[in-house]
Amino acid sequence: MKFISTDIIELKRELSDLDIFALDFIRILRKHTNYVIVSGYVSILLGRARVSEDIDVIIPKMDFPRFSYLLKELIKHGFYCLNAENDLEIYDYIKNKIPIRFAEKDMVIPNVELKIAKNRIDEIALKNTITVRLKKDNLLISELEMQIAFKEVVLKSPKDIEDARHIRNIAGKHLNSVLIKKYKGMLRGF
Amino acid sequence: MDFKKNNQRERLKFVDFWSKYVLGHDDEVWSKQQNIIINSGLKNAYISKKLYMKLKGRK
Repeated sequence: MKFISTDIIELKRELSDLDIFALDFIRILRKHTNYVIVSGYVSILLGRARVSEDIDVIIPKMDFPRFSYLLKELIKHGFYCLNAENDLEIYDYIKNKIPIRFAEKDMVIPNVELKIAKNRIDEIALKNTITVRLKKDNLLISELEMQIAFKEVVLKSPKDIEDARHIRNIAGKHLNSVLIKKYKGMLRGF
Repeated sequence: MDFKKNNQRERLKFVDFWSKYVLGHDDEVWSKQQNIIINSGLKNAYISKKLYMKLKGRK
């Protein structure tokens, strides 16, 4: 793992089934919208020794025609929405900023939890991304300082504290401690 | 020290141990081992859609 710059990490890892699932989904999603991967999968991608059943992805607000086209493409490539079948009904979740889940046909796990950016924190995550260069493709993850702050201040479960600790250990001197402090301040009372 | 605190301390010790291992080895080496956990975890995680969404508090 190499920290090439503040926004590029090079990772020559063997892909897990979760990575392959994430890449299959993201290859379709990124043709239609910006995105950022957040939460547990970020630490797993960077080596944390645990599994997750879902991958959290934030996207900006989308209008119905664009969303409907994305949905068609996902279905064409073998994905389905766990929340609902009808595209208007699925869009209703999105419109109301309720996360929706996608899995491969006949599967439930793993799945992608797709969320529309609904606050300043999500907007910052979408804006400040890190490109993880894998052997044959790239994934966009949230900046690590935000991940650490969110897990240590908002989520705070043992699993999240361990995820944050792993990221802190792995990124070490590449982390901006002032930025972590700033995000923690923003997140208090979130 | 109670069991919970002791358990959390031990888990954090392993997180430190493992991240040190990740930093000290090529990506191919650590990821092959990590993938054993991930791939077997996913393989054994069968759950019905209905139950899964119920657990997640969604429709």
